[in-house]
Amino acid sequence: MLASIPARAQQAAAGPYFLTLHVAGGTGLVALGGGYRLAHERLEPELLVGYVPRRLSGSKPLAIVTLKTTWLPWKAGLGDARWQAQPFTLGAMVNYTTGKQFFLTNNTAGRYRPGYYWWSSAVRLGLLAGTRLNYGRTGSTRTAAYAELSANDLHLISALTNRTLRLPDILTLGGGLKQDMR
Amino acid sequence: MQLRGLGVIVLLWLAGCQLVEFSPNQAYVPARERSLTAQNLRRLEVQPADDTLRFVFVGDTQRFYDETEAFVASVNQQRAVDFVLVGGDISDFGLTREFRWVNQRLNALRVPFLTVIGNHDLVGNGRAVYQHIYGPLNYSFQYQQTRFICLDTNGREYGFGRQVPDMAWLRQQLADTAGSRRTIVVGHMPPTDEDFDPELVSAYTAALRSCPQLVFHLAAHVHRFTAGQPFHDGVTYLTTYSLQKKRYHILTVWGQREFRLETVAYGAGS
Repeated sequence: MLASIPARAQQAAAGPYFLTLHVAGGTGLVALGGGYRLAHERLEPELLVGYVPRRLSGSKPLAIVTLKTTWLPWKAGLGDARWQAQPFTLGAMVNYTTGKQFFLTNNTAGRYRPGYYWWSSAVRLGLLAGTRLNYGRTGSTRTAAYAELSANDLHLISALTNRTLRLPDILTLGGGLKQDMR
Repeated sequence: MQLRGLGVIVLLWLAGCQLVEFSPNQAYVPARERSLTAQNLRRLEVQPADDTLRFVFVGDTQRFYDETEAFVASVNQQRAVDFVLVGGDISDFGLTREFRWVNQRLNALRVPFLTVIGNHDLVGNGRAVYQHIYGPLNYSFQYQQTRFICLDTNGREYGFGRQVPDMAWLRQQLADTAGSRRTIVVGHMPPTDEDFDPELVSAYTAALRSCPQLVFHLAAHVHRFTAGQPFHDGVTYLTTYSLQKKRYHILTVWGQREFRLETVAYGAGS
């Protein structure tokens, strides 16, 4: 009886919680975190904490705290109830990099006159586009694998002001796994 | 152990392509893009020498990628240029990819290029990035009987406090005249600028004044050409254009302290 009910009807408006393991994408070598699904699983806000080891930072290890939201407008079945694709996802993120060398604003650094540097070296904004594959029946704990391309604000500004910088030059690849919690 | 080795290899391969970036502030770049100062000095060493030193001086490539391409095309048409000297502010935001974008373009030069660090290059993790990609912030080399002293003069980035420029190092370099007949000092920030540590201006200019074989002091930062003896002590200070101005200088040096400065305009609107 239950099996005949459309999948959508079983889906709650919000939830479940999920855990994320994220790799690269400008948010650390590896980032761990999690989030909560909203709008019938079409919106996924999450918080990630990324780690950049000394080998990559060239200075002290860095931590990157990222707040990210993914919009998943479209779900497609793959002929097997356990597999589902979400071919196209869009997202936005904002992150903060720790370290004394980064300033929140020009003024908080304490050594510049107002407007000397107009941007924040600690905070980056980013836009994302990606794709996702889900495994597990709706209503049970599912696992998702995703890949996404992102561009941050400063790279974007560089491309917008230069004809010879093209989109591939400013894109960054990231990806990971999300595991539902019940 | 084997697995770990494989992991490291995969990681390095991924980081090798620009698409995979762990932080826009990472210092890590592939091995061939590291230690560019040393790489370029090695190229300079094997370059056949003549009796005239002739080099291009330009500043502030920051976010002027289109102009940098046009600059390279113009410099490649010049004859008898020994190398290109970039006066700092290679990047705008101190981000890794900016340095790589500039280097990708400068790599098309037929001659080696050398850099000094600018204040924009020190923003964020830029200091570590610069050290990884180019090398030491203060370095010197000898070419055509001329000793070039290249140093970090961006005092404000360190909150002043008499740390930068490193005066002890500079004095030592200026005193070391063995095997050279001329000295040229290059820093991004000219001592006439408010971003140069005000407490070190007199020590800096006095040190330069005390070097009898000094030809001139080169700087950038102000994005325009200035020339003169602002401290009225016989020491010539020059500043050069930013890439945005679509102009650069060619400096020819001969004899004891003889030099000629040419201005080259290139690209549309020149």
